[in-house]
Amino acid sequence: MPQSDKLILNVIHRPEMSPEYSETVMTQNASGAAQDRALMRESLDIFRLQQEIAHKNGIKTTIQMTYGSLFCSEAVAIAKEHHETYGDEIALTLLGLPCKQFKEKYKTGEFCIWMFSKEDKIAIIHDVFEKFHEQFGFYPESTGSYYLDAWLINHIKRRYPSVKCAVATCFEEGPKAYHTCNNSWYTLIDGGPWNPWIPSKQNTHAPAANAGEDSGIVAIPHISRDLIACYDGNGSNFGTHPQNVLRGMIYKDGKYPYLFNLIDQYRHLATYNRGFCYNMMFVGPGWMNKLGRWEAPYELLVKSYEDGMAYYASLKQSGLLADMTMSELADYYRSTHTYSQPECALWRDILYGSEKQTFWYCDPFMRAAIDMNQGGAIIDLRPYVAKLDTEMGVGTKHIQDVSYPFLIQANYRAGFFTHYAGKGTIKSCKVSYGGEAADLCLCRTKAHFSDEGTARVLTLDPVELKLAGLTASVQTVFRFEEGSAAIEVRRHVLSVSEPGAKLRFSEYIIACYGTTEYPEDMTGITLSVGSGDLNKTIEYAYKCREETVENANVASAVVPQIQTRVSLECTDAERGSIREGYAFSPMFTLEMEAEKGEKETLTTWLRLAKAN
Amino acid sequence: MAQAGKGKLNYRCPSCFMRDLDIDMFYDPDKEEYYCIRCCYHGSERDVQEKNEMARFRYRDMLRRIDHWED
Repeated sequence: MPQSDKLILNVIHRPEMSPEYSETVMTQNASGAAQDRALMRESLDIFRLQQEIAHKNGIKTTIQMTYGSLFCSEAVAIAKEHHETYGDEIALTLLGLPCKQFKEKYKTGEFCIWMFSKEDKIAIIHDVFEKFHEQFGFYPESTGSYYLDAWLINHIKRRYPSVKCAVATCFEEGPKAYHTCNNSWYTLIDGGPWNPWIPSKQNTHAPAANAGEDSGIVAIPHISRDLIACYDGNGSNFGTHPQNVLRGMIYKDGKYPYLFNLIDQYRHLATYNRGFCYNMMFVGPGWMNKLGRWEAPYELLVKSYEDGMAYYASLKQSGLLADMTMSELADYYRSTHTYSQPECALWRDILYGSEKQTFWYCDPFMRAAIDMNQGGAIIDLRPYVAKLDTEMGVGTKHIQDVSYPFLIQANYRAGFFTHYAGKGTIKSCKVSYGGEAADLCLCRTKAHFSDEGTARVLTLDPVELKLAGLTASVQTVFRFEEGSAAIEVRRHVLSVSEPGAKLRFSEYIIACYGTTEYPEDMTGITLSVGSGDLNKTIEYAYKCREETVENANVASAVVPQIQTRVSLECTDAERGSIREGYAFSPMFTLEMEAEKGEKETLTTWLRLAKAN
Repeated sequence: MAQAGKGKLNYRCPSCFMRDLDIDMFYDPDKEEYYCIRCCYHGSERDVQEKNEMARFRYRDMLRRIDHWED
């Protein structure tokens, strides 16, 4: 559906009565209650200041009331006044639960709603929503947390159907954030979308494929992040939260053009999404406290917020931005998107000067990342098609780790480069001729995007291969057909320097499963390769076995641990292979081989399906 | 020696920052230096600032405003 190309902006503020970042060992002293009162006063003042900065710039906000703030008549009064005067939405966040009333009732320091037991989740939701109703006389339309699990979203929607929008996860905040915080920050929630989506009833990360799977809300990520910098580095350094940029030390002499480049790159995503582009700014008061935040003094913290908001204002004045509340965004998103419509981002490095590009693709069946710096290798693959219905929180098997599992994660599981032995997860292609071989992972290139109706196409610039005296030009084209749960990969041989020469292509995927850097038990995985008449299988037992079938048309793996079947298909392969790994290399490989000459094309499909 | 505390700004350890670790440093008023409780880094405020500058080496486009977005 055609859209406006305007950057849709959500600015979200929350009055926290005890900001989580102000409660560290660095700010504690012996004064106890007096300090608590001072902190609450300062927090409310910061909230006021944030609101003032937004309104001064003509930007409306979503005020996400915390549970603690619902007991503060001043915070409630501000929200009501700003709703009346500026059209701000009064919403309810499940962040900021800790307060005197909460601690007295639940007797815990826990503050992450998705980690509570089901019983506690039910009780807390009742408490905070009813307290909200008591103060405002209506139930909220928007809510959120760093993460909301599907069970919780379904429960909220059932009990409070007015809710239609929620902050539901952070993009790529998981083991990297945990590590950056000295292994003390338990937001293990990798693997989700980077822009708004409709979560499925089964799994928050995985978008709904149809009305039956629709959870009833539109989800937005917590912060709009840099899709290259965040994938390798600490996500909290590279977001449209202005103080993220200060945290990353990406500034000099009070200047931070990176923040505006980041906003502009999000604007550019309209090119890949039929005019839809989105940004959110969500800064808790702790990040603008008077003590300063890490190396940044208070003045710089405030300046960065003012500058960020002023830039949004300038875009709005130029007709390039529309500020919305969260509930308005939900309505707009539903009016402009279909379930099968993917979200695409051909993202470029805007920080390190590398000119690196990564293409991100997200639909109800998968999230994939393609790295042009590695010849178009798939470096991340999440099989949303499985729609894992995972119970989360205390009392379940998933207390902290709610990341959506990967089949490929080239940073957590090595990718192309390994130390001395073994394999890493990657989807690429090896090309050989005359006894020499080259992997396309070592051919840096660039990509171009096109929207072909029901398909999104990524066309890579041709790469040159030199093998045993032969020079060949090979071009790769990826095609994502809506609703197919497959990625079509074409390898075109544009030219060879010796007439009649044939290149041998080995299209392969090396995969495993997991959510962290650490290996999982591969026992139970079944590998198969077949041609229709002949099929061979390997039950994974770390024995480094291999099976090959001539003229195979499919090689596949069923990974019961994540209820996923992944297959590599080809209609004219000379042979297909499956390879088991071993304990030092707990991976599996699916491969299709064929010979192609000038003007010929090898086409394969990487297909995902639910297996249970 | 009295216990350490917070300095005038909440400096992180520059050595740990370069390995993607955010760790607040503590300030030793007797030695007039910040120190990291995880690694062995310690230094004056000036040294911390110099090392933070060093940490920015990878941000080659840190100060470049980009005005062209086409592929």
